[in-house]
Amino acid sequence: MMAETTNTIDVTINKDVLVIGCGTQGLEAAEAVAAKGYKVVLVDDADLPAPAANAIEVMANTKVESLAGLAGDFRTCLANGSGRSERTFGAVVVAPRYGLAPLNEAYGLALNDKVVTMTQMEALLDDGAFKETLVQGEGKSIAFLSGFGQEGDPAATSRVLEAALTVQQAGNSRAYVYANNVKVGARGLERLFTQGRNEGVVCFKPLEKPAIEQGDTLKIVINDPVVREDVELEPDYIVVEEAVVAGPENLAFAEILRIDTDLDGFIPSNNVHRFPANSNREGIFVASQPADAANVALRVAELLDNGVRTVAKNAAVVDENKCTICLTCYRCCPHGAIFWENGIAAISPVACQGCGICASECPMDAIQIGDFTDEALTADIQEAVASVSGTPSIVAFCCQNSALEAGEAAKAFDAELPQGFRMVQVPCAGKVDVEFIMKAFVEGADGVMVAACHEGNCKAERGNTFAKWRVEEIQKRLETIGLSKDRLIFTTIASNMAEEFSMKVRMFAEQL
Amino acid sequence: MIVAERKPFDEIKNMVSGYKKVLTVGCGTCVAVCLAGGSKEVETLNAELNLAFGKDKIEFGAETVERQCDMEFLEELDSKVDEYDALVSMACGAGIQFLAERFPNKPVFPAVNTSFIGVNLDVGWYEEKCRACGTCVLGLTGGICPVTMCAKSLFNGPCGGTNQKSCEIDKEQPCAWYKIHERLAGQGRLDQIIEISPPNDWSNQKPRKIIQPGYEERVKALGR
Repeated sequence: MMAETTNTIDVTINKDVLVIGCGTQGLEAAEAVAAKGYKVVLVDDADLPAPAANAIEVMANTKVESLAGLAGDFRTCLANGSGRSERTFGAVVVAPRYGLAPLNEAYGLALNDKVVTMTQMEALLDDGAFKETLVQGEGKSIAFLSGFGQEGDPAATSRVLEAALTVQQAGNSRAYVYANNVKVGARGLERLFTQGRNEGVVCFKPLEKPAIEQGDTLKIVINDPVVREDVELEPDYIVVEEAVVAGPENLAFAEILRIDTDLDGFIPSNNVHRFPANSNREGIFVASQPADAANVALRVAELLDNGVRTVAKNAAVVDENKCTICLTCYRCCPHGAIFWENGIAAISPVACQGCGICASECPMDAIQIGDFTDEALTADIQEAVASVSGTPSIVAFCCQNSALEAGEAAKAFDAELPQGFRMVQVPCAGKVDVEFIMKAFVEGADGVMVAACHEGNCKAERGNTFAKWRVEEIQKRLETIGLSKDRLIFTTIASNMAEEFSMKVRMFAEQL
Repeated sequence: MIVAERKPFDEIKNMVSGYKKVLTVGCGTCVAVCLAGGSKEVETLNAELNLAFGKDKIEFGAETVERQCDMEFLEELDSKVDEYDALVSMACGAGIQFLAERFPNKPVFPAVNTSFIGVNLDVGWYEEKCRACGTCVLGLTGGICPVTMCAKSLFNGPCGGTNQKSCEIDKEQPCAWYKIHERLAGQGRLDQIIEISPPNDWSNQKPRKIIQPGYEERVKALGR
């Protein structure tokens, strides 16, 4: 239901929240969201512990089969032994799963009964029979390898320190830790480290990865930077560190929820413009760290509030007479904000971020973006070219999240800019349509520059990538026409790079 | 658009006769426009099949999606096909195959014959215009396709069989190259008919893929 006011609309949204995947993070997030007064449904494909809060409906052994719709109106199909049910939610929180991968190969080691993973050693230390061997006779010497197979983190360090301390406390055995960096940046780790040292855990911090011989016996050789001598050890056990990897369910979650993963398969994808608990889709949040539960609850409350959201009316408007539901916009939208209903594409004003990638890709020019309509931008381009006296005239399409700021700063600092340089503001480089670039040339621009955010830094995830592809494509077309492709350049810039920006513009002008 | 016509009823009936529950899937684009496989044709076919089999023998369901050649629209069927033991598609050959690909465990039967790429002359009246040869010569031929219209698909014509405006195969079949001659003459560019078009590379007829310029990187990025 939508009630119209002047430039905004009030959209009524569903206030229920779905939390997928349990574990500590999922449970805590569910409780934090419930504490804000929202009804929470917690699903997991395994058995679930009962959460403390009454407002949480628990569905154990349940899978999210599908998710359609958008922020404020996610329509899901939940399936379990007793059948399928369709449920609607305003927001979705996902608690990702992780797996562990042993890094023995990084040390040139093969796993066997003497070379074990951290997980295996933890299991051994829980086993009474093994613990007995630590006390009997001469005991055992156990070497832990940490931080040479990966950069490591406090969580990994904590496991090493805990296990080493347990070995040492057994009484008759010795723990050796070969660490690159001892990462103690979490609560209690400094204390744990110190306690271990006090109880006799030996720590080495070699400058290079330890050289290890694996034969009938094990032998570790390092050059100790403190005593400046080679130190040899023949331990009974070597424990190799493990990398945290994305659980296989992560990709399945990401696919069903249509959210991006990072390069290692973790969700959410990284984006400096977003809060860490946000995904690339509005209304889908990720609780992956212990600190995330509270953040997720805040973001959920911000979105759902009291169930009414006031949004801009013209954020992205589809012309129903032009749209042929070719699905190009649906496929290109980095925010999953587009669906289709009643025979045309529909852009959710709640989920839309206004980047304009859809408008640029639409083959029918059926989408207009807020203050950046085709008409307005065409006028800006004409104005930019017409206002220039002298050559070369340069039209620079500048992303308002980066290049525009850099350009404005360059002007404010009186940085030297060519006389014929004009900026055209765009909401994202992804809004720079092929037609706009061609229009600038047709209007008489000598050079056109598309200035976007750095790779991996686009607020709209892929707006800069789309812009780069389009520029490369038009460069080919310019060459086919018989014009120099160098009249068009793509560049990336950050908002604080005023000097670099003016330099890039000057170099472009010279080249023209 | 792609033009199709419905298969003879008995052929469809035979294909589905061994099944208990069959979903007939229509397509809302080309085959709907050419009145062969839209929502109405789905309902009509189901009614005919019901009458033929008797109501209790086979249960027929009906769904029509926007386009069977887009997986996003086929996805709308995901939650529905489980309960059926066979599917009948009324889409063109592309749609039928895409449907079969989406639900590889279900037998999929075609209810239409895909006929040609053509135009709408009047309600229910279509004419073939294009054979998708991949090397368009319409610029040289006055906008008349010799591949489609000439019985020999000659790029350079006419042949010796042109017979007073008609083709030698049939008096009713106009000679494509006669029509091309007339069109070019009317436009005052008859000299172009002398220009030799190199032969088409018919080896291009293996299954073709097109990635529009500007999307190559995207396709690569998607790893498909």
